[in-house]
Order: sequence, then C-alpha cells, then structure tokens
Amino acid sequence: MSVQFAAATSVVAARRKLRIRWRLVTVGLALIVLALMALALTIGDYPLPVGDVVRSLLSPFTGQADQANDFIVLGVRLPRAVTGLLAGAAFGLSGVIFQTVLRNPLASPDIVGITTGASTAAVIAIVMLHLTGFPVAVAATVGAIVISALIYVLSWRGGVTPYRLVLVGIGMAAIAAAVTSYLFTRARISEVQQAMSWLTGSLNGATFEQLGPLALGLLVLGPLAAILYRPLASLELGDDAAKALGTRIEVTRLGTLLVAVVLASFATATVGPVAFVAFASGPVAKRMLGPAGNALLPAALVGAAVTIGADLIAQHSLGRSQLPAGVVTGAIGALFLIYLLAAANRSGRGG
Amino acid sequence: MFKSLFAAALLLGFAAAPALAEEWTYTDGTGQTVTLDHVPNRIVMHANTAAGLIPLGIRPIAIYVDTPVAEDKSLQGLDLTGIEIVGEAWGQIDIEKVAALKPDLFLAEWWPLDKAFSGLESGAGSTNQQILKLAPITGPTQGDSIVKLIGDYEVLAKSLGADLNAPQVVADKAAFEASLEKFKAAVAAKPNLTALPIWAGTDGLYVAATAGASELMDFASWGLKLITPEVADDRGYWETLSWEQADKYQPDLVLVDNRSDATMETAKAQPMWTSIKAAAAGQVTDWPAFWLRNYKAYAGALDKLTAAIEAADENLTN
Amino acid sequence: MRAGGLIVLLCGLLAVVFLSITVGARPISLGDVWAALTAPVSDSTTHRIILELRLPRTLVGLLVGAALGLAGAILQGATRNPLADPGLLGIEAGATLCVVLGIAVFGITTLSGYVWLAFLGAGIATVLVYVIASLGREGATPVKLALGGAAVTAALSSVTSAILLTSVQTLDQIRFWQVGALTGRTMDILWQVAPFLGLGIVLALTTGRILDGLAMGDDVARGLGQRVQLSRAFVGVVAVILAGAATAACGPIAFVGLTIPHVARAITGPNYRWLLPYSMVLGPILLLGADIVGRVIAPPGELQVGIVTAAIGAPFFIAFVRRRKLAEL
Repeated sequence: MSVQFAAATSVVAARRKLRIRWRLVTVGLALIVLALMALALTIGDYPLPVGDVVRSLLSPFTGQADQANDFIVLGVRLPRAVTGLLAGAAFGLSGVIFQTVLRNPLASPDIVGITTGASTAAVIAIVMLHLTGFPVAVAATVGAIVISALIYVLSWRGGVTPYRLVLVGIGMAAIAAAVTSYLFTRARISEVQQAMSWLTGSLNGATFEQLGPLALGLLVLGPLAAILYRPLASLELGDDAAKALGTRIEVTRLGTLLVAVVLASFATATVGPVAFVAFASGPVAKRMLGPAGNALLPAALVGAAVTIGADLIAQHSLGRSQLPAGVVTGAIGALFLIYLLAAANRSGRGG
Repeated sequence: MFKSLFAAALLLGFAAAPALAEEWTYTDGTGQTVTLDHVPNRIVMHANTAAGLIPLGIRPIAIYVDTPVAEDKSLQGLDLTGIEIVGEAWGQIDIEKVAALKPDLFLAEWWPLDKAFSGLESGAGSTNQQILKLAPITGPTQGDSIVKLIGDYEVLAKSLGADLNAPQVVADKAAFEASLEKFKAAVAAKPNLTALPIWAGTDGLYVAATAGASELMDFASWGLKLITPEVADDRGYWETLSWEQADKYQPDLVLVDNRSDATMETAKAQPMWTSIKAAAAGQVTDWPAFWLRNYKAYAGALDKLTAAIEAADENLTN
Repeated sequence: MRAGGLIVLLCGLLAVVFLSITVGARPISLGDVWAALTAPVSDSTTHRIILELRLPRTLVGLLVGAALGLAGAILQGATRNPLADPGLLGIEAGATLCVVLGIAVFGITTLSGYVWLAFLGAGIATVLVYVIASLGREGATPVKLALGGAAVTAALSSVTSAILLTSVQTLDQIRFWQVGALTGRTMDILWQVAPFLGLGIVLALTTGRILDGLAMGDDVARGLGQRVQLSRAFVGVVAVILAGAATAACGPIAFVGLTIPHVARAITGPNYRWLLPYSMVLGPILLLGADIVGRVIAPPGELQVGIVTAAIGAPFFIAFVRRRKLAEL
C-alpha cells in the first residue's frame, strides 16, 4: 500500500515538475521576445533617446505627438517589430504542426514545398504578370494553397501516409524551384532583383495596413491549432495506436495541416519566405521543454524571437548594407539546428 | 504730392514682398506637379539622377543606388564626397538614415513602362513608399533620347538654382557638341556601315532592339545604321539567339553592353563568337547601355564609338 | 536478361548521342555532319558548330549524366534513403556559394574558372555535413545526414543570398549558371573535369558489393564482416567526386541523381551490381535527351537542360512515388 502510495505521489510530483518546467520555459521565451522587441524599438540609425521612444509609444493615449519621432517609432519601428512577432509566431506554429503530424523532423512548410510554391507564385506575379505590392502577396497565398492541394491529392492513395506526403512535397518543391530558376533567366535583371529581394524574406517597409490578414489569421487559427494539437500527441504513437485511442486520424490530420498551411501562407504573403524559422522552431522548443510536452506555444515564441532577432542583426550589424532578415534566419536557424544535432547525439538520443 | 507717391510705392512694395518669396514647382511627365514653398536644398536622389545633376552643379545630401556604388556605371568619375549613401542594394533604402537627414525633396527618373520612379518600382512596394511620408518625389521622364533627358536635367537644375553658365558646365557641353560633330562626320563618311548592339551570355547571344534603349535611339537619329532584330521577348527589347545561330546577323561593327566587364569575356570565350565576322576581325566596341546621364560621359562614349567607326571596314559584310 | 536489357539501353544511348550531334538550334544536314567529323573545313560555320559546340557538349553530357546517375544510386544506397540525391549533402549549395564568392570577390567570369570553385565548394560542404552528422554516438545515420545536409544547405544559401542581394553583377552571372546547362561547355571544360569524372565512374562501378552490404542494414552488414563506417565513408567520397565534378562542369542539374536510380531499380531489382551499370547508362540518356529537347523547343534560342530535366523528372518522380511501395527511413 505504501509502495503504491509512493508510486502515485512520485507520478504526481513528476507531472508537477513537468508543468513547472513548461511554465518556466514559456515565460522565459516570452520575456526574451519582449526584450527583443524593446531593442527593436530603441535601436536604429535615427538617433532617438529611450525617453523619446516611450513618449512616442504613449502618444496615442497622451495626445503628445511629435511628428518626426512618431513617424520613426510608430510608423517604422513598431510595425516592423510587430510584423516580426506575428510572422515568426505563424511560421513557428506552422512548422511544429507539420513536424508533429507528419512524424518527420524534416517536414516543415519550407521543405515540403509550401513556401516554395508560394515563392514561385510570387515570382510569376513579379516577372510574368509585372505585378507589384499587395497582389504579389495574394498570388503567394494562392500559390501556397494550390501547391498544398496538389501535394495532398497526389499523395492520396486510399489515405495519405506522412512519408509519401513528404516525398511528394519534396518533388513539388523541386518543380517550383526549377520554374523559379527558369523565370530568373528569362526576366530583366531588375525584375530578377525584385524577385530575389522578395524571395529572401524581409521585414523591410512593414506597415500596419499589411498586417491585417496575418493578425486575423493568428487570432482565429492560433486557438484552433491549440485545440487540434492535443490529439496530435496520440498520432505520434503511430496510426494503429491512434485508432485504438479513438482519434479520427484522417480528419484530424487534414484539419491541422490545413491550419498550418494557411498560417504559413499568410506569413509568407506578408514577409516573403523567411528561411528556416518554420523548420527550426519546433526542434528548438522541444529541446528546451524536454519531456514537458506541448510545444505549440513555445514554438511560436521561438519563431518570433528568431525572426525579430535576425532582423535586428540584419539591419545593424553589417555596416553600410542593410540585409533582409531571411538571410540571417537561414544562418541562425542552421547553426541552431547543428548545435541541436550535436547536443542531442551526445546525450544518446540519436537522430 | 511726392511724399504720398513715395508712401504708396512703399505700401505696394510691402504688399508685393510676400508674393516674391521663392516658391518652387516642377511638373513631371505624367502631369503631376510638386510645389514647395522654398527652393529645395536638402535633396535625396537616385543614383542616375545624381549622375545627371551633379555635373550641372546641384549636389544632393544623399543618394540611393540599386547596386554597390563601385558597380554603378553612371556614378563613375563623379565626386561624391559629403554625400550620404542611404541604399546600396535594390529596394533597400535605409529609411531611418533618410529621416535623420530631414530631406525636403526626392528626385528620381520616371519610367513610363513600370509606371514608377526609380527605386519605387513594384516589388519594392511599400518598402520604399514610406519615404514619401518624409518628402515628395518628382523627376524627369525616361524617354527616347538621352540628349533630351540631359536637357530635362538642365531645366531641372536651373530651377533648383544652378548656374548653367558656370565654366565647367559650359566646357562639358562644348566638348559634347564637338564629339557629336565628329561622330556624325564619321558615320556620314561610311554610309555602308552597319552596327549590332548585343549582350552575351553562356546560354545565348542577346541582340538589342534600337527602340529599347535611349542612347541607341540617339545614335540612330544621328545616322548610325543599327540592325534591328526580330524581337521575341514580351517587352520587345531583346532577341535571344542560340550560339549556333550567332551568325544570323552580320554587322560591320559589334557594340557590346559595357555595364559589366564579364560580358566581353563571356563573348570571347564562346567558340561561335567569331562566326560573327566583325568579331573575328576585331571590329568590336563598347555600347554604353542605359547609364549615360551627363555631357561629359556622353562625350567620352561618343569619342570611343567614333574611333571604332573610323577604324572599321564598312564593307566587311554587304 | 539483365545483360540483354543493358545492351538494349546501350543502343538507346548510342541513338541519343547520334541525335545530340545531329540535332540542334540550327538545322544541319547529315551529310554536313559526316563531313565535319571526317574532313573538317576550318572556316565552315556548320563544321565548327559540330566540332566546337555539339561534340564537346555531347561528351560532357555523357560523362556528367553517367556521373549523376551513379552518384544518386550510391547516395541512395549508402543512406538507405530513396530521396537522397547529390543536393542532399549540400553539394549544390556549397558549389554555388563558392562560385558566387569567386565572382563577387575575385572577379572570375569564365566557366573554366567556375569549375575549380564549384569543386572546392562541393567538397567543403560535404565534409561539413559529414562531420556534423557524425557527432554523437551512432555516427552518420541516414536521418542525421539528411538533417545535417538540410542545415548546411540553408546556412550556405543564406550567405549566398546575402552576397547576391548586394551585387547585381554577381546575380546577373549566377542566375544563368545556377539553372544547370550544357550550353557553352567547350573542350576546355571537358578536359578539366574528365579525369575526375572518369576516376569517379570507375570507382563507382566497384562499389556494388559494399552497397549491397549496406542495404541489408548496419547490424547485418557488420555481422557479415563489413566495416560499416569505413565503407559508407568510401562510397560517400566517390559520390562527392562524381557529383562535385558534375556540378562543377554544368552547374546544379536537378532530378537526374534522384530519379535515375529508381528507374534502374524498377528494371534490375535491388542488386547494386546491376543497378550501378544501369544507372550509368540511363543517366546520360535522360540528360542528353533533355538537352536535345531544350535545343529545339524554343527557336532561335535554347532552353537550359536543368529546366527540362526538372520538367520531365519531377512529374515522373511524383507518379513513381504514388505507385511504388517505399521503405521508410
């Protein structure tokens, strides 16, 4: 009896430890994100003391407006930081969902061809249709959804196994990339520059007007993802176990993937395909949480932190040139993943 | 009586004074007008516009370039001391730097086909549109002639307070007119001479249509016989030829796009380059493609062309 | 049976080679082709096209096609991953970055200049991927290789993008190289890469037994006396030589390394001693075939082979994935 009692209390204690760890990690990540946003608001080529920044932030409430300062803080820096936050969160969510549903660490919108499809659609819009600005973003979303539908349909044979989905996705990504390469050789160099600039993923020129779809998407789909995510854990045990546990596999999988695709395409439409954020957020979050479970919110926070941080580095650390954030996220994300591989392998968890 | 006349004159003088405060206004090619209440003196320009205005005496406080300054042909040879560079890659204007400079005007060229000013085209989208919240933008229109464009820059410079009679400006213009006369004479002396403007890549030979480049239109209007390709691309500027078909057009003189040194090297590395008789005979020279914006650069380019024309055998190909 | 099939394919290859010399953007009569090969006149344009454009191009296509087919087969066998192709190990990203650096920093502008740069970049990237994947207990397992490859590719691509965004001239040159093409590949290029391709092909054909062993799984292979890590490293090196030299010669060409081994396997089954020769012959058939299509489909210009192989290869690959049962990782 005392043995059972000890076992029960140790399970409860263990669970509590895990909950505490989850809370610590999440709060810690949130604080990092806030700190990065504060940096983004105060650092810049336009000299602004912190006091002035705060005054500008409060000006909608206090009515004390200073046109020049407000333009910089509220018109340039704040929208950029918020865009980084929302896009990063959307990419992070999308990535962790893909990786969980498809049970494959390689799976993420970047690799499975979703963002490549969005990119190709955008390049077509820029180079062949000579479109500009918002219509390009619309084209990107359409491209992402079309290619996702294609991938799903093509990998359906009496059901969709995650493995086949990933394979078809990689094939589609290669086609999309080839189309982009072809268009690059046919276009005028200025159009190629435009396309390249969009393709690298950038927070440049972010405004609040652009954020509408993304903000709305996160508001609606974020909670939806959270609801759908819980049964996903049972999917990780394999289809048979999941069936036994009563989950309706196909519907849940499809629904969650759809949410992830829409999140990724809205984010891509807003800032372009920022590399590696979707791919790396999930593994980073899971590493920090250990066995503490639900990686959804932490992955979103990791995505936001990486995006905002990368943008800061891209803007300010390279002397005269300003680079788009996507260049740095690729490098950061890759380094982080390499570190994870090395660390995970050492502790014996293998690939 | 004189006292009251004098008083009336004074009154009139005071009344008229405010109306004499300097206003500045400019209408661009689309008919849109920009008006400022003072002559702008803190101007941020696109690189090509700077190349047009700096030799005329108007210096910007900052310029934005589509590529690193060292790679921009239009800025070569210009003295850029004291000018801030606020963008060195396409679509990347550092808006905070610009805001810190407190500009009162942006100047760039208007491209009718893109329906945009340089630096504010499409994909740049809202990126650079934000600069318009700091100051308005205007500028001359890209058209069928570089000479006309330079003329537009002269008008713009004058309205900004330039002295077009300054010795250097006058000298540059005189040099250009002298070079132009020599060019016209050389072309007239060789009525059978044909020329072909090209760009060379490893995948093929690209032949340019005269109507696609303002300086080519100038050359044609001065008598140079340019071969026109059967254009294929959607904007009508280039025909792409496989290197197997490189001998489709046989000019007496080949004009090679000189924005990058790599173009000439790539051309020479292709086995079929010499199937163009002019290339085999060495009758090849530079085509200053798309970057000429002032009399000095134009004079230099014309002199080079003139020398090549004078040295060429006009009956190489009939 | 398999030998018979190989002979049929070799005849097919000969037919493709014949077409590659006789068909092109400029129509040339067979008589002229014959004259060019047997009694060339030095200033005849058509003869020069045959000897200086089509012949080197065909030879390069032969060697590169064989190399890519073999490299793909080897990598798929060594990593037991049916998705493996030379790009997986970061080869293409490494080659591209090195070429971009060469253009941007050293002002190298000719194809022969690119060759050594591409080779160097491919080698460095692969070493990097291998080292990363080997960290930890189990050494370089297939999954870790794939992840390491993805990580290295992303990192190198970031740097490449950074450079391309700040230098228009570099972007203007690389966008043509990056598509993968046989145009402009002259005898110089052929002599530069032929030794490596030749060496690689010969070595590759000897790896059949090793790959058959690895295919059975690491434990079984070890039980049968094979030194698993060493074998995998050796075949990896061979694959890198092949893929590196191929990318150096033609730029990154998609899909050949990925799809050819699957086609070969459909005919020969999983036995590598047949799979490799079949891959070696099927590769050039696809590559030269795609090149020929590219020459005639967009007159008077040409379509680069990298585009055509993707257009042909990708739908085929997808159809293939749908039909076959594939082993999981």
